[in-house]
Amino acid sequence: MSITQRTITDPATIGTEDKLALPAGPAVATRPLGVFSRPQGSEGWTSWLFTVDHKRIGIMYGAAALFFFLVGGAEALFIRLQLATPNGSVIGAGTYNGVFTIHGVTMVFLVIMPMAAAFANYLLPLQIGARDVAFPRLNAFSFWCFLGGGVLLTSSIFIGGWFQNVPDAGWFNYAPNSGVLFSPHKGVDFYAVGLQITGIASLVSAVNLIVTVLNMRAKGMSLFRMPVLTWMLLITQFLLLFALPVITVALFLLMFDRLWDANFFNVAAGADPLLWQHLFWIFGHPEVYILILPAFGIVSEIIPTFSRKPIFGYHFMVASGIAIGFMGWGVWAHHMFTSGMGPLSVAAFSVSTMFIAVPTGVKILNWLATMYRGRLRFTTPMLYAVGVVSMFTIGGLSGVTHSIAPSDTQQTDTYYIVAHFHYVIFGGALLGLFGGFYFWWPKVFGYMLNEAWGKASFWIMLIGFNFTFGPMHILGLQGMSRRIATYRADEGFAFWNMVATIGSFVIAVGVLMFLWNVFFSTRAWRRAGKPDVGPDPWDARGLEWMTASPTPEHNFDTDIEVERFDDFWHRKYGRNEQGRIVRAAKAEDIAHDGSNTNVHLPSPSYWPLVLGGGISLVGYGLIFNLWIAALGLVFLVGALYGWCLEPADDPDAVHSHGAGHDDDDHSDLHSKPVAAEASHAEPDPDPDSQNEAVSSG
Amino acid sequence: MSRNLKGLVWLSSLLVVFGSAALIVVAILVDDHHPLSTLSPVGRQGKDIAALINPIFIVAGVVFFLVQGAVLALWWRYRVSGSDTGDGEFGYYDDEEFPTQTHGNNKVEIGWTLAPTVLLAVISVFTLITLFALDDVEASDEEMVVTVVGQQWWWEYQYHLDGNTSTPPDIVTANELVMPVGVDIPLDIKSRDVIHSFWIPKLNGKRDAVPGRSHDWVIQSEETGRFRGQCTEFCGLAHGYMKMVAVVLTKEDFAVWRDNQIAPAEMPTEGTEAHAGWQVFSQQCASCHVVNGVTSAANRGGESTEPDTWAIYQEHSSNDAGAYLGQDTLVAGAAPNLTHLMTRGTFAGSWYDLYLDAGNHIPYLDLADGGTLNRGELEAWIYNAPERKPAAANELRGMPARTSLSPQDIDNVVAFMSTLD
Repeated sequence: MSITQRTITDPATIGTEDKLALPAGPAVATRPLGVFSRPQGSEGWTSWLFTVDHKRIGIMYGAAALFFFLVGGAEALFIRLQLATPNGSVIGAGTYNGVFTIHGVTMVFLVIMPMAAAFANYLLPLQIGARDVAFPRLNAFSFWCFLGGGVLLTSSIFIGGWFQNVPDAGWFNYAPNSGVLFSPHKGVDFYAVGLQITGIASLVSAVNLIVTVLNMRAKGMSLFRMPVLTWMLLITQFLLLFALPVITVALFLLMFDRLWDANFFNVAAGADPLLWQHLFWIFGHPEVYILILPAFGIVSEIIPTFSRKPIFGYHFMVASGIAIGFMGWGVWAHHMFTSGMGPLSVAAFSVSTMFIAVPTGVKILNWLATMYRGRLRFTTPMLYAVGVVSMFTIGGLSGVTHSIAPSDTQQTDTYYIVAHFHYVIFGGALLGLFGGFYFWWPKVFGYMLNEAWGKASFWIMLIGFNFTFGPMHILGLQGMSRRIATYRADEGFAFWNMVATIGSFVIAVGVLMFLWNVFFSTRAWRRAGKPDVGPDPWDARGLEWMTASPTPEHNFDTDIEVERFDDFWHRKYGRNEQGRIVRAAKAEDIAHDGSNTNVHLPSPSYWPLVLGGGISLVGYGLIFNLWIAALGLVFLVGALYGWCLEPADDPDAVHSHGAGHDDDDHSDLHSKPVAAEASHAEPDPDPDSQNEAVSSG
Repeated sequence: MSRNLKGLVWLSSLLVVFGSAALIVVAILVDDHHPLSTLSPVGRQGKDIAALINPIFIVAGVVFFLVQGAVLALWWRYRVSGSDTGDGEFGYYDDEEFPTQTHGNNKVEIGWTLAPTVLLAVISVFTLITLFALDDVEASDEEMVVTVVGQQWWWEYQYHLDGNTSTPPDIVTANELVMPVGVDIPLDIKSRDVIHSFWIPKLNGKRDAVPGRSHDWVIQSEETGRFRGQCTEFCGLAHGYMKMVAVVLTKEDFAVWRDNQIAPAEMPTEGTEAHAGWQVFSQQCASCHVVNGVTSAANRGGESTEPDTWAIYQEHSSNDAGAYLGQDTLVAGAAPNLTHLMTRGTFAGSWYDLYLDAGNHIPYLDLADGGTLNRGELEAWIYNAPERKPAAANELRGMPARTSLSPQDIDNVVAFMSTLD
């Protein structure tokens, strides 16, 4: 391999073709420092560590989120055991405070957010017809950084003894209770540092996905041809982009307070504790929409598919999502109606909060209208999606009741609120994400999850959910405060608490049935000799179904050109002379079969992992010993250098996956279309653009 | 899906939807034994809030049934079971009749955007009216203002009978806020350490006690009785154990209570058990607990022998731990004033009853004479408080253990306390 110069195009030839195009030429490959070739290959466990493939990163996000879900779920069961009876003494007040704090932090930051990130990473490029995200290495870094932060937070459970150093000031972590004076152990340090690290991950990922959606859509995929899920994920990324800096500032100040006596939140030194509350909720309320919008997107994909109708009011669905994205910024102080704001502020935030119910209601009604006169097939994903419509409505209605500021002074910080946000976050976000697991499982892994087990686990989960959180409405209105480690026997809370505790274990059974389903379905598929599920097992509508299952490493064999919304569905169906909808083509014939072996993909890289690891090491160092931080800094800076100096394309790289690849033409970025695929491929007016390489990040 | 399973699914979905609604109705109807309930208010403000929210609950209930009913109706009407059609369980069916491919309807969309908007606009008008009305204090001949001070993990009440909060309070008491019936009582809510929230659900909503700030609030009760409360802003270790009671007396009874509270305690006669108890108390307890008239700055190493409640509170209203004694004391710097301990129905942040037959029924003013002292619990508390209620005494938050006391010492201290009525 010799290094060659890119040939200069004669300016006269530019513009003579349909579009401005650089001529194909050999790659410019350099090997700075002459060391550190990029890792190769896509098999074996190490290939997962160094992967930059958005699909593998998505799968890892999902797996990590499921793991943390089990951790957070176990914490929830301890909470319910402690509260099952009056004067509970299962875990004691100190541990209880730690458990409910880490439960909240885990579920919000380490479960729902990364689960949504799993879908965003896996599906977003596929739905817009792209090969990968805009910055694949940065994407890998996001995941490792998230995992590092998640591990750091979770390790607080056992470092220095069980629950000795766990954050214990609530997920909202109000100052000054989160200060060193009132929380002297290292728990809140874990919180401040851990969330900053996961925040970096989310922020980087937000930038990456926004650029991906804005710049890498397939030809013809205008913004208003994008699937609703893509839209909701895009809005979510914008919310993250603007909300995370706010919490990062707050956490930064908190960290300085705790580690270096900065006095930002020290009342004795003149601080006002309401500063933290405002900073936290300016982040915290958009965060609620960050949690729910991806699930709204998932539901908007599932319901049309199983209603055999397009989504009703597509533009209104998108617009209501955008409206929620904007209005979500003007409601944060409804978390603070009792904190001592003046009545005018309270009035303003009360009214703004009420009206955010409007775009949410529009979504609910549009889903119902999509189902209206449809042919509804209640598969497991559909059950989950309809479950979201039903359960989220309850959470939305209770939300309206506490936007009424005077009544919120009775409801806030009671179990009524706990009921409300679990109906929103469990009944809305988590059910939606689980529905997404069932829906896209065949696309990701190449086989279906078992429907009977899926339906059974759905019903068990739904019934357990309602028995756990339904009674909490009653408990809250009967005056049971949140975050209390126990209650007196004569307060009349015993019965519904026992019901809720039993319900929580029913949920646990439902979750175990889901895990069993994964195991059972995988085993059944292996035993049956790994049959091919086909590209489009649900007869669905998005572009992600227009390629083989599981998705080939290069996503699509050729570039896709989109002509309308739900393009894939319109390729499958047309109208006959009578105007009746008839099948025009089988999915198998339209979908790409993944046989193109000549697609140039970005090489894996060591550095995202090293950089993510270095950052968590710095995190541990800030908490325990600055020398550890110095070591982490060495990794961090080293990784940055390695990242920058890494050859964009390793000359020794095997470009792609699989057998049959012609290793001799690896310098040819613009490989020729493969003849074998021509039979299924859409005729493409511009063959040169077919296999364009994606940026290597 | 088999017929049986399908029936089960329908049955359970109906159960979930209508069962949960029925449960809420039942809960509202059966509200007798819930001393903290927001559903049966007795205070003016609490009733105003209920009058605002109850119709909204009904509107929300109607929307709930409409949406859930629509979900079930659509499900029932338009479902297609897998076995009814074609050859595959999930896949397409070439001969399938497709539903009309409606993409939307702008009129419908605008309609269901406007309908909730109008509904919410109406609700918001009533909300704002109530919101501003709740800020008003009804004029009365009672000038009293009570400064409510939260700290880990109990409440203090400083009564300013003339309404002037800048002068020393006339009465300092803890955990139980005693007030006359039928009168708006303005509160001035503060905190000595972290954020707490003052909440007597049957009287009014809650208001946060934020260190460094002073929040106005008002409560009123239209009935006499004991109304429970609970700190509702998470305030650390024993948050759940930080309770309080509003004791509402007739105006005559309140006057009797007030005059009694203003009087300082009497020094026990020398040679009695109570006097021995006072000596132990002075050495072991008086560095934090004040008993007007019998503990003083002298007991704490100062020179004055005047009752000095106010001076102490003035000196450590900030968070400076141990500032006023030059020694380690509570982070909050204050412990409950025990001058009239025996007139209270509860102790330890209202977590424990001071009298065995207390409940809500015995006449409050007769407690000290008529009740049976919950002696075992009180002794256990004095001996080892952190074992009886979570506390971080080693971090100067909460009452430390006094396990060095002999049983005789504790008997004596209880004897001394029994004189504090």
